[in-house]
Amino acid sequence: MAFIEIIFYVFSSILILTSLGVILFKNPVYSAISLILSFITSAALWLLLQAEFLAIVLILVYVGAVMVLFLFVVMMLNISDVIRTSRFNKIAPFALFIGLIIVGELITLIWIRSDQFSMASSPIGVLDTSVGNTTLLGTALFTDYLYSFEIAGFILLLAIVVSISLTLRRREGLKRQIVSEQVNIDPTKRMKLVDLKSEKN
Amino acid sequence: MLALQSYLTLAAIVFAIGVMGIIINRKNIIILLMCIELLLLAVNFNFIAFSYFNQDITGQIFVFFILTVAAAEAAIGLAILVVLYRNKDSIDVQELQTLRE
Repeated sequence: MAFIEIIFYVFSSILILTSLGVILFKNPVYSAISLILSFITSAALWLLLQAEFLAIVLILVYVGAVMVLFLFVVMMLNISDVIRTSRFNKIAPFALFIGLIIVGELITLIWIRSDQFSMASSPIGVLDTSVGNTTLLGTALFTDYLYSFEIAGFILLLAIVVSISLTLRRREGLKRQIVSEQVNIDPTKRMKLVDLKSEKN
Repeated sequence: MLALQSYLTLAAIVFAIGVMGIIINRKNIIILLMCIELLLLAVNFNFIAFSYFNQDITGQIFVFFILTVAAAEAAIGLAILVVLYRNKDSIDVQELQTLRE
């Protein structure tokens, strides 16, 4: 048990430090890399909570796709415009104040109410341990939550359509096919049949 | 033995860091989007902690959907950002006051 606690405390301090790095680094590339590290650390913490499938999905989808997209956009923009400069210290005490209030409120609530959590110290109930986490998740996803699953797929389709249509740039003077005109061509207007008299000798 | 409160406290701290980041950052929309990702991560942490301590898989299902929506949100947000940079040559939060003027 002690080993698990050591792992938890080490990883949660790494998670807090990297989250602070996300908001404190001046260079957004460093922020993005710090966010990647915090995703990987929280995937490790999710493994402690026996959410193996979601931990792997977090690394694959977030680190592999979303953060790469972030880094791609950061590097596509002109970096000198993007680097944060001053105007940072003026608002920082206020932000710290707000942050401390939020942490204070949440932690007070969590620890005051903690004796009312029946499951607070150890898990209650049992999951089916004969099958893995992925099987359990898939079974629930494709039976009870099938419609939500379909809607999630539709949202992803919507995201594809929206981001392509937002960033698509039409340039003037580009030579391209217009398929409808090609299909609707009347052959009699294009082709003239000419009778050639064959020569007779 | 680690209790539920430890995980909830960690998630609360990460959430507050995300909120602070949104307030501090007045220069850069990309950092704003990253802070939203941090907030969603903290929420997912709560779902997974409750899912483990209740031994109920439903919490993980919700994390699955939050991940989906967050990915879509990041893609659309970055697309809007690229269009904005193309039109205004800047991603400064302070300069986006067209609606106010």
